Amino acid sequence: MLPVSATTPESVTLETENLLVQRLRDRDEGAMTIFYDKYSAALYGVILRIVKKEELAEDVLQEAMVKIWHSFPSYDAAKGRLFTWVMNVCRNLAIDKIRSRQYRVGSRTQPIEESAALRQAAEPSFRPEHIGLQEMTRQLNPEQRQIVDLLYFGGFTQSEVAEELNLPLGTVKTRARAAIKVLSKLIR
Amino acid sequence: MNIQEYIESGILEEYALGVLSEMERSEVERVAEEHPEVARELLQVQHSLDAYAEAHAVTPPDDMRERVLRGWQEAIRNSGEQQSQVPPVTAPQMVASSAPEPVAVPAPPQENGVVRQLPTAEPAPSRLKWLIAASVALLVLSGLGNYLLYSRLQETEANLEVAQTEQSRYAATQQAALKERDQELAVLRSADFRSVELKGTPKAPEALARVYYNPTTKAVYVDVRNLPAPPSGKQYQLWALDNGKPVDAGVLATATAAGDSIQQMKDIASAQAFAMTVEDVGGVASPTLSTMTVIGNL
Repeated sequence: MLPVSATTPESVTLETENLLVQRLRDRDEGAMTIFYDKYSAALYGVILRIVKKEELAEDVLQEAMVKIWHSFPSYDAAKGRLFTWVMNVCRNLAIDKIRSRQYRVGSRTQPIEESAALRQAAEPSFRPEHIGLQEMTRQLNPEQRQIVDLLYFGGFTQSEVAEELNLPLGTVKTRARAAIKVLSKLIR
Repeated sequence: MNIQEYIESGILEEYALGVLSEMERSEVERVAEEHPEVARELLQVQHSLDAYAEAHAVTPPDDMRERVLRGWQEAIRNSGEQQSQVPPVTAPQMVASSAPEPVAVPAPPQENGVVRQLPTAEPAPSRLKWLIAASVALLVLSGLGNYLLYSRLQETEANLEVAQTEQSRYAATQQAALKERDQELAVLRSADFRSVELKGTPKAPEALARVYYNPTTKAVYVDVRNLPAPPSGKQYQLWALDNGKPVDAGVLATATAAGDSIQQMKDIASAQAFAMTVEDVGGVASPTLSTMTVIGNL
């Protein structure tokens, strides 16, 4: 269906991840270096996308790593990948940051498409199993993409998105689900 | 529950986006635990969002790596976490088993250096104990200090209240006194008042008093210069003599008799002379002439 599919490295990364999880569980500080090398680009990219400022993004990443280290015992591998978990920690922390700084007052009405972070292309050197941003955005229609971005990167609730875009809540929900189904098909 | 319908409902997508309430989240987790299809589908949904997130990856600047890792290490060190379990045996094991794995290559030497530097296991607990003891001591001291300051504050507030009451009472007294003086002054300065010198009788040659009488308003004031102190149970009484007939003009207050202030007496319709006698406290209806101390004519 698509040129980029999650074939080869899936099993390998999973193995790496399990190993990393084990070392983190053993409170092995060296594991955090590996963690950084493995995840920093993805986490930094999303954080930067949310907070928009490089200096702040760096602070949030460091803070997130401290949080990940301390709350690692609450991570349950049975419930999902390490990546999903750490990404959510970072996302929530970054969103808290912009909320606490009242960023939203100013930036809320600014279309997300105009933000500087969005214009940064995905790293070409990024792991092959991952589909590029361009490919993904080509598959999502603009409405779907806008809604996913507001929900996932903006920390908006569905009702807030509905209000923001002047749409019925049902439409927002339908578009959000449809968008993720598209993404889901992409990596299947 | 129709599992297919549940999956199609879109709640898993909402779960992955993080837009569900705490209750809805745990409900989804419960269903996923019971139904492997749901769990599989949920993972799939989460992975697609992970992929979307990864598509936004931005490699951080090179110098950030060192800063963030060092900052992270300092932060966890400061939070006082105990580093008891870093058994040197496990680390090599891990490294060995992950050797063929490119991503899991052990951290570069300088990071290892930083990591190993932790001189922790021994001092941490004792330092922690010490810190706790110090904190408790500080807390107790601070509590004592607060208590002292609080009681001092209470005391000060009570004193302030007393002082304020005192002050307003003093002000009221002064106000009244001032008003009285003003009235007295008005009497003394008024041209309508006629003053009558009451001179001592042979019984008390040194005695001297003055009466101010206003024939128009009938007001009478008395101003004592010098009167012998009355015997106990006795009081000076002022009489107006109208055509030789004594009319009671009231008794003199102790302060008046002592010469401390002038006193307004009873109004007198008409008089040609005034005199004072010594009478029982409260005054009498007709004067005891033998005790007459001062007398004077208009």
